[in-house]
Amino acid sequence: MMKGGPSQEDIRRHNLGTLLRFVHLRGPASRATLAESLGLNRSTIMALTADLTGAGLVREELPRGPGRRAGRPSLVVRPESTRVYVLAFEVGVDRLVVARVGLGGVILDRREGVRARDSDSGELLSVLVAGARSLVRKAERGAVCVGATLGFPGTVRRSDDTIMFGPNLDIGELRLGDALSRRLGLGIPVSVCNDANLGALAEHERGAGVGCDNLIYLHGDVGVGGGIIAHGRLLGGDEGFGGEIGHMIINPGGRRCACGSKGCLEAEVGERTLLAHAGREEIPDQAGRDAVRDVVAAADAGDIVAREALHRVGTWLGLGVANLVNVFNPGLVIFGGTLRDIYLGAAAQIRSVLATGALAAPREKVKLRTAALGDDTTLVGAAEFAFAEVLADPVQVLTRLRAPEDTTV
Amino acid sequence: MNTAGDAWEPVARAIGSPALSDGPRGPSGGFGAKNAADTLADQARLPRGGGAARWEPLGMSVTPALDLRGIEKSFGSVKVLHDVAFSAYPGEVTALVGDNGAGKTTLIKCIGGIHQFDAGEYRFEGRPVRVGSPREATRLGIEIVHQDLALCENLDIVQNLFLGREQRRGLTLDESAMEELARTTLSGLAVRTMGSVRRRVATLSGGQRQTVAIARAVLWDSKVVILDEPAAALGIAQTQQVLEVVRRLADKGLAVVLISHNMNDVFAVSDRIAALYLGRTVAQVRTADITHRQVVELITSGVSGDLGLRR
Repeated sequence: MMKGGPSQEDIRRHNLGTLLRFVHLRGPASRATLAESLGLNRSTIMALTADLTGAGLVREELPRGPGRRAGRPSLVVRPESTRVYVLAFEVGVDRLVVARVGLGGVILDRREGVRARDSDSGELLSVLVAGARSLVRKAERGAVCVGATLGFPGTVRRSDDTIMFGPNLDIGELRLGDALSRRLGLGIPVSVCNDANLGALAEHERGAGVGCDNLIYLHGDVGVGGGIIAHGRLLGGDEGFGGEIGHMIINPGGRRCACGSKGCLEAEVGERTLLAHAGREEIPDQAGRDAVRDVVAAADAGDIVAREALHRVGTWLGLGVANLVNVFNPGLVIFGGTLRDIYLGAAAQIRSVLATGALAAPREKVKLRTAALGDDTTLVGAAEFAFAEVLADPVQVLTRLRAPEDTTV
Repeated sequence: MNTAGDAWEPVARAIGSPALSDGPRGPSGGFGAKNAADTLADQARLPRGGGAARWEPLGMSVTPALDLRGIEKSFGSVKVLHDVAFSAYPGEVTALVGDNGAGKTTLIKCIGGIHQFDAGEYRFEGRPVRVGSPREATRLGIEIVHQDLALCENLDIVQNLFLGREQRRGLTLDESAMEELARTTLSGLAVRTMGSVRRRVATLSGGQRQTVAIARAVLWDSKVVILDEPAAALGIAQTQQVLEVVRRLADKGLAVVLISHNMNDVFAVSDRIAALYLGRTVAQVRTADITHRQVVELITSGVSGDLGLRR
């Protein structure tokens, strides 16, 4: 069982990653703050910073604004946000977003497009490629793309990023990640992940779940997705399919789900169901987030049909959350996408069902929150996922990515 | 985008623990000091009694920011509050509910020093205090956002935030410092849609005004913020934003008291619910332990099952 201690090289790589991750997630920090927060001495911080500066990942400058303290100010280490970036793709049933996100989590630029619900996978790919290319063209000279990730509303196999199943968005046999990577020609692979899993990641790193290592993120789009963070890590299960909260059966024999089963959470609280309960499913051009928001607004204004619809959906959502609370004992349950609106519009019903349905012990401390990142949860999660490699081994990755550039230019 | 703040824990403490670098997930939790503290706190809380009416804090601190007991208040011969108990804890939203005339507004006016209690015990952060005027309440760190907001339409956001408490540098006003503080306070409330802090309040929407009023209340290192029907006159999108701001205030560690008639709003953000019925406290319960129906029964009849008035 005994393993040899980490080598000098391992420690250095680890510390480089830790320092870079710190400024990436927490923003610019002085050397003094870094030394204190990371538990390293100042000369180590200086050496690490010099390495990262050399690789073009951070830069040091004098603190901005009026200095309040006496003495020589400690230099501030900033991530090179405009020079080191990733591409984040969000594929929704109705909308497509591509963003260039800089180190430090800054969304530098973005392109949004609508997707027709009957469009095919070829069109999807073309739109994504066009968006990404225009973003890359706008990047500053010498900027380097260190990763790319795509969030997809479906089940994705972790080992090879194969999309196994997308009940609301069928792309056939297409290997989306590989195809995208080939068409972009940036020399980097494009990872594909479940959108709600990325949402969980994003809220954990930068949103409502910062500091909470056991949380559940629920994402409402056409369907309902979920991501579970346990002990600070995404719970993927054996093959990465885990966290499909939307297909938890909460009403046996209930409404038919796109997955073929009946009474899944998604079938009872998804967009189509809410609109059907509200008597709005037949209205053309009425779909997506705006339609859901309209129902919530109508309920708020006193429309009894909309209220009843929200009440019914709230009951099933409360039941789903009660099950999750009992099974996982999360510290936090976050509602994102259209579920944010549904939670705020039906909170009384949701929490009433939770109060009667969940065990007292895990229910007592669980916090229910809305997504702090709003509509960008998937996008931010995709960016964080794409940064993972460079954060794990900053200097190596940068050296490798910059190498071909030197030979061709 | 980054909500930053105090909730961050150090990304890593241990040097040379390679476990941190495997996989895309970063700080791996571990068995740091935070977890140990959690465990202790859990144990301290466990042996307490059961039932729906338990009344311990969710946060770390056991001392309520605000703790009132046996409060009596009459206006002449009209008795308004009788034997009222009310507590609010740091880090939590306590919803104060009750029918019209149940005494909610009188109670918060007494807390804010606008009226004085006839009898009763008023503790602030555990110390008995006497709050004789609104100024004394402010000095303790108690701020009330009234329904009418009391903003000056002809002044800009910064001027409103610092009205009567302007910061000076020498003989002149320190505009840049005030602007900076206004900006950080508003961004701490995660308000992205406000635009310039030099916009005049007259040009702001209802939700934005509400946010400015809330920002003014939290600017001064306040400990308790009381919001009287903050979403009463707002549209749905703005109501949702204000609710998220209310929640964020408590998550930053303030004790927030929310008066609302809208049960969805109450359930969406509160940790506890205190119900008044005809000038008496009929229940103080955790939101996690109560249903919508029970709260409505408490408000309308003062009793619901085991909860409420003994008859």
